[in-house]
Amino acid sequence: MLRAHNLQIQRGRKTVLDEVTLQLEAGEVLGVLGPNGAGKSTLLGALCGELAPSVGEVSLDGKPLHDWARSQRAQRLAVLPQVSTLDFAFRVEEVVGMGRLPYQSGRVRDEEIIAAALVAADAGHLSGRSYLALSGGERQRVHLARVLAQLWPGQAGQTLLLDEPTSMLDPLHQHTTLQAVRVFADRGAAVLVILHDLNLAARYCDRILLLENGRPVALDTPDQVLRPDTLQAVFGLEVLVQPHPERGHPLIIAR
Amino acid sequence: MRLSVRVAALCVSWLFSHHAVAADLPQRWVSAGGALSEWVSALGGEAKLVGVDTTSQHPQSLKALPSIGYQRSLSAEGILSLRPDILIGTEEMGPPPVLAQVKAAKVRVELFSAQADLPTLTHNLTHLGQLLGAEAQAKQLLQTYQQQLDAQQARVAQAQTAQKAPGVLLLLGHAGGKPLIAGKDTAADWLLQQAGGRNLATHSGYKPFSVESLAGLDPEVLVFADRALSGEAAKTALFQENPILNSSRAAKAGRVMELDPTLLVGGLGPRLPAALKTLTDGFYPVKGGQ
Amino acid sequence: MTTLVKPRGLFIGLTLLCLLATWLSLALGPVSLPLFDTLRAALRLSGVPLAPDGLEQAELILGQIRLPRTLLGLAVGGVLALSGVAMQGLFRNPLADPGLVGVSSGAALGAAIAIVGGAVFGDVPEGLAPYLLSVCAFLGGLGVTALVYRLGRRNGQTHVATMLLAGIALTALAGSAVGLFTYLADDATLRTLTFWNLGSLNGASYARLWPLLIISAAVALWLPRRAKALNALLLGESEAGHLGIDVERLKRELVFCTALGVGAAVAAAGMIGFVGLVVPHLVRLLAGPDHRVLLPASVLAGGSLLLLADLVARLALAPAELPIGIVTAFIGAPFFLYLLLRGRA
Repeated sequence: MLRAHNLQIQRGRKTVLDEVTLQLEAGEVLGVLGPNGAGKSTLLGALCGELAPSVGEVSLDGKPLHDWARSQRAQRLAVLPQVSTLDFAFRVEEVVGMGRLPYQSGRVRDEEIIAAALVAADAGHLSGRSYLALSGGERQRVHLARVLAQLWPGQAGQTLLLDEPTSMLDPLHQHTTLQAVRVFADRGAAVLVILHDLNLAARYCDRILLLENGRPVALDTPDQVLRPDTLQAVFGLEVLVQPHPERGHPLIIAR
Repeated sequence: MRLSVRVAALCVSWLFSHHAVAADLPQRWVSAGGALSEWVSALGGEAKLVGVDTTSQHPQSLKALPSIGYQRSLSAEGILSLRPDILIGTEEMGPPPVLAQVKAAKVRVELFSAQADLPTLTHNLTHLGQLLGAEAQAKQLLQTYQQQLDAQQARVAQAQTAQKAPGVLLLLGHAGGKPLIAGKDTAADWLLQQAGGRNLATHSGYKPFSVESLAGLDPEVLVFADRALSGEAAKTALFQENPILNSSRAAKAGRVMELDPTLLVGGLGPRLPAALKTLTDGFYPVKGGQ
Repeated sequence: MTTLVKPRGLFIGLTLLCLLATWLSLALGPVSLPLFDTLRAALRLSGVPLAPDGLEQAELILGQIRLPRTLLGLAVGGVLALSGVAMQGLFRNPLADPGLVGVSSGAALGAAIAIVGGAVFGDVPEGLAPYLLSVCAFLGGLGVTALVYRLGRRNGQTHVATMLLAGIALTALAGSAVGLFTYLADDATLRTLTFWNLGSLNGASYARLWPLLIISAAVALWLPRRAKALNALLLGESEAGHLGIDVERLKRELVFCTALGVGAAVAAAGMIGFVGLVVPHLVRLLAGPDHRVLLPASVLAGGSLLLLADLVARLALAPAELPIGIVTAFIGAPFFLYLLLRGRA
């Protein structure tokens, strides 16, 4: 279980994140929302160990993150960054296969997992193609398959951190991606996902952390966090909040 | 045994051993040094040369021989493919592992010093003479050479009674461009001095010249050696690439002389006395009416 | 998408090419040896007790001249290609080349110091001179690379972009230092410097060969073990870290292996360019970027290519020799262009 306690991150003199305390529960999808520059990516950076906090600490299963042996940590924590800079013509399966690096599960088992992860990320049809020949959205799904493969099949004790996994996807794939993430969480994994789209967050997240200027404004269920007054205060946007006709979660409509 | 038979036996055995000694002389020669190749030719051994390096350009007929490349980066197998009996060169010959390989292949390797002085030349020529079986010619050549050099000294001494030694600069260039000035401790410096000139350059070795230094030195005679061109073409190129030279005393008086650059490497060569004489004639022109 | 060659086919093909190149390198040369003599001399050298009649020359040529030269070519070609792969992985850029971390220019500087310094200060013991050059070149390469690496480190992390800039700067600095030595050099040492800069497998001897053989064998055995980690590094440094790889250690290993390998190769054979850049490219175009195939295949391809280039260098102007750097550029560049154009079609 990934836990952050009283985190403060500084960039130079400026404090970009302050007083963040949270715990990622097994089987839960936690969405992180906020305007640009609110500190969302910074938080993700701290949670995966890339950024060192000036105050506070991040711990995994009670042990500080940096005390973990690398491959042990990699078996429990996977990170999907916002952009990928891969510039070599690997085949799709080879990219996904890199997710199996922390394991010694053997070629046959790896191939099964790779295939399953690609299907889960709705990228099964991309099998056999060159990574460089894919579109931005397709590449994003391949990387999602990679991190899924890293934690496959997903269980309690594992954490998945995703930085805007839907930014380049068309509406259909936005949903299929988050659906796959949801399935992962249902198997027991803890998931933290940074999103821009309020409605996607409302539908797929169990809890939402709302950040503004590096500070947490709210940490609660979507019903509690996504209220018109809160949203107007943080985003400066006037909205209506209605329950989704079929599913019941909040539906945010700009006025 | 009767005396006549003994004498006959002695003569026969002497003849036989002489022939045997001649047969021991290396027949197939590879030379890695320009001046050495010239001396071999001068001693009548040109027919024995089967390969020469890139600095062996005189006599012209040597250029038709297979080339073993530059003397400092020879190829062992390349040399061996010519099936030589002997490889001669100066201490610049190399690289050393290649020489070791050639030696290991039972080819005789002889090193000759490239120092530009008479005792070295004497030693070299005598040795070459022995190897070519032309000791008498070698002695003759040395004598003549000595005489020529002595005559050269006398000529200079004589000329200097009437005229002062002129200030000279030697420029070594490539198709006229980027010429280097010959300073102290160079073969060029030795040549200039032997010809009775006063080398105005005070630095050591060959260095590129700056416009100011030329303007400051202002030689009375300019000697140039070009690696790429010769004759009028070289002279034109030199002045085209370096217009500042036109303002020198030497250029204005038309006292610009050419020197074959191959004379500057590899030690004293056979063409040297003639070149020295030409230089001296240029340094101390006979004034009209004297 | 162009069809890739399967790994098994690639390795079979490259091994055959390597064997062919080795055979040609041993059998051909300025001295034309009858094939039968070559075979018998080869057998004798490997210990088979055959009658030595008339085989002395063949044994000498084969054993003392061609065999060390062939081994040198295989080692230099293999280690240069391997270092090219390592650098292209480190900088995550297929245009990277071992020279980027300054090892080549450092070696050139070391060699220049040895060549010109030896002439200026003289008094170098006869037997020491050739070793002095190699040792100085090797130390020069290691020294400059160490400096580049040090400059790229900040807060215990190696910043590859900073290293790249430091490499460029130090290469320029070393270059101007070599220029200074060129100025101080007289004609003869100038020629030596120039020829050294063009690279050559000439004069290979067992004594000078074994340090390189040991180093290139070590590098060739070590790097392929990091193939999967190198693959992951191409995703990005943080991504590779999240997959459980010690990225700092990997970068250090890559720089170290390159410095050692290229330093030793340049010390033994002078500057031979183009191999580190082109060979990994060729292999990638044929078989994809997976390092598990790329690393061992590059060793085979690099060794073979260099041997074939050396064959041209030895035979084209026999009995003289072409500097091999000219040949590698001449053969490598057009072939590379052809493959690129074909790949794009």
